[in-house]
Amino acid sequence: MVVDQDWSSVYPTAAAFKPASVPLPVRMGYPVKRGVPPPKEGNLELMKIPNFLHLTPPAIKKHCAALKDFCTEWPSALDSDEKCEQHFPIEIETVDYVSSGISIRNPKARVVTLRVKLSDLNLDDHAKKKLIKLVGERYCRETDVLTITTDRCPLRRQNYDYSMHLLTVLYHESWKTEKWESEKSEEDMEEYIWENSHSQKNALDTLLQIKASENVSNVTKEELLASEVVKKYRNSVIALKNNGETESNMSQYKESVKKLLNIQA
Amino acid sequence: MLRSLKGLVCRSLRLDRGCALHTAARDGLSSVSSQDVPAERPRAVFHTSESDPAKHTEQHEARLYNIPLEEVKAVFPHGLPHRFQQQIQTFNEARVMVRKPALELLAYLRGSNFAHPAVRYVIYGERGTGKTMTLCHVLHYCSRQGWLVLHIPDAHLWVKNCKELLQSSYKKDRLDQPLQASAWLKNFKTSNERFLQEIKTQKKYMWGKQESTEEGRPLGEVVEQGLARVRSATDAVGVVLREIKQQSHRGSFRLLVAVDGVNALWGRTTLRKEDKSPVSPEELTLVHNLRKMLRNDWSGGAIVTTLSQTGSLFKPSSAYTPQELLGKEGFDALDPFVPISVPNYSPREFESCYGYYLERKWLQHEKAHTEDGKAELRFLSGSNPRQLDRLAGPL
Repeated sequence: MVVDQDWSSVYPTAAAFKPASVPLPVRMGYPVKRGVPPPKEGNLELMKIPNFLHLTPPAIKKHCAALKDFCTEWPSALDSDEKCEQHFPIEIETVDYVSSGISIRNPKARVVTLRVKLSDLNLDDHAKKKLIKLVGERYCRETDVLTITTDRCPLRRQNYDYSMHLLTVLYHESWKTEKWESEKSEEDMEEYIWENSHSQKNALDTLLQIKASENVSNVTKEELLASEVVKKYRNSVIALKNNGETESNMSQYKESVKKLLNIQA
Repeated sequence: MLRSLKGLVCRSLRLDRGCALHTAARDGLSSVSSQDVPAERPRAVFHTSESDPAKHTEQHEARLYNIPLEEVKAVFPHGLPHRFQQQIQTFNEARVMVRKPALELLAYLRGSNFAHPAVRYVIYGERGTGKTMTLCHVLHYCSRQGWLVLHIPDAHLWVKNCKELLQSSYKKDRLDQPLQASAWLKNFKTSNERFLQEIKTQKKYMWGKQESTEEGRPLGEVVEQGLARVRSATDAVGVVLREIKQQSHRGSFRLLVAVDGVNALWGRTTLRKEDKSPVSPEELTLVHNLRKMLRNDWSGGAIVTTLSQTGSLFKPSSAYTPQELLGKEGFDALDPFVPISVPNYSPREFESCYGYYLERKWLQHEKAHTEDGKAELRFLSGSNPRQLDRLAGPL
């Protein structure tokens, strides 16, 4: 075979291994005792396995050059990642599978993954909490990304339509408020709210008792709630409940309780 | 002087666990007897002869003070950790180490205003760091000052392993625990004799069909009634608690409510009713009354409590922070409280404990007397009082 021959014309498509056409000294097979693997001439092992001799880099370059006529230019305005995310907040991920076999179909190719950031959706506080409760595990708090993976339909286009439909339904449902949502109790709350909690009640009762013992009357609840010590106490309790107990949280809570109850060392 | 130099030398091997609160549940702290023990090292600086907790200040920190044995019997009929009681018997004296958390608490108690509602203090820390001993130190102070001390040695004993559960005659859906109640009443009587004569009942109490206690009788009669008729012991406890609470604001006495293992009151119990359904803590009369005591709607005293994982039920062994052990209900009930953390031994405290064991000849192993041995003990125990106590035992 000539050295500067065009390889893509020897193997333009997928074909079996032809030992005369491939100029490489390939050996394959199990060697006999104190021997070497059999050579390529008449080698069944080499002929039965799939080969990618038709997909060498120059061949692929030629394919791309041929396909270029059917492609359009990338829009020049979208030159950075942030601009892409800003204009196209929804990301669709699909996977194509290539294999050397009789059929080009692969059932895994129908899976569609839809990713969107909740900050790009127009949601108010109640809608966001309801949406997070509805999707459950599919939402990641750290990155604020909702991921919906659909594979229940046989075709990729159907799965894509279904995932878009899901997103639309979630969005609209989370904006609605049902009658039974008013029964939301303390256990259902996502984060700790100090207003109307036991902690607030206890603190106010204690402060009122203290004031009563000092014969200071006419102190209203609103005044107490607006005072600095109560605000600090409120912040420390919220930090303790939402962020867990750490050294700094506990010492902050301790200081705020000491100020609240007027304890001197 | 010498001790602080020793502390500098050993600093490189310090292995404190940073913010862990440890309670010296067993840390007995040694104290040296006042006789001169011929020792190789100079007379220990880590003992102090100041045996009145009221006079303990920062300069007494990490030192051990002696409690006379008669006082121990009077003030602590129940409540000292078991290992510490064994240590008292072995060394024939009771020495308690003065540590920072206790000093802090004593300062708060001294400066507290008794016209305000009672302040709640929660002592918390990891296992074996000295929580119960801190509580006992504070108890000793209060009893020396003449307070009425309501000490519940371990609230976990009331929510597990009860042989008898009677249905309460006072409220149909509550359960009585006569054995636990009568045991507690007996110990309460020993520690607070004089108050039981001074405090008078304020209304008439009926025990069953015939017996009753009139108004104006001393509280000792109620206690006697509870001890004599074991069936009504639980109700007697309830009456005692109620009377004390109502009269504390008058100022004739100061009240200290000391509860060890307070997280038992808001957890789960292992008790079952006759139809095998589990009992929740509210259904136990003792727990119900104690919870009422722990509310801060009374004045004229203080409430000092300890969290304890060791006897607790259904809690993981790594839990030690207030929220983990008390749960949501307990935290909401005790809030706002002052949390006091008890850490492992500081280097100074470790030195003084080690020096005490040496001086009492508790550490017999010849290698234990060397510097290397001390460093090894420090490393193995991690400066945890309970671990040190257990390690020093076989040596």
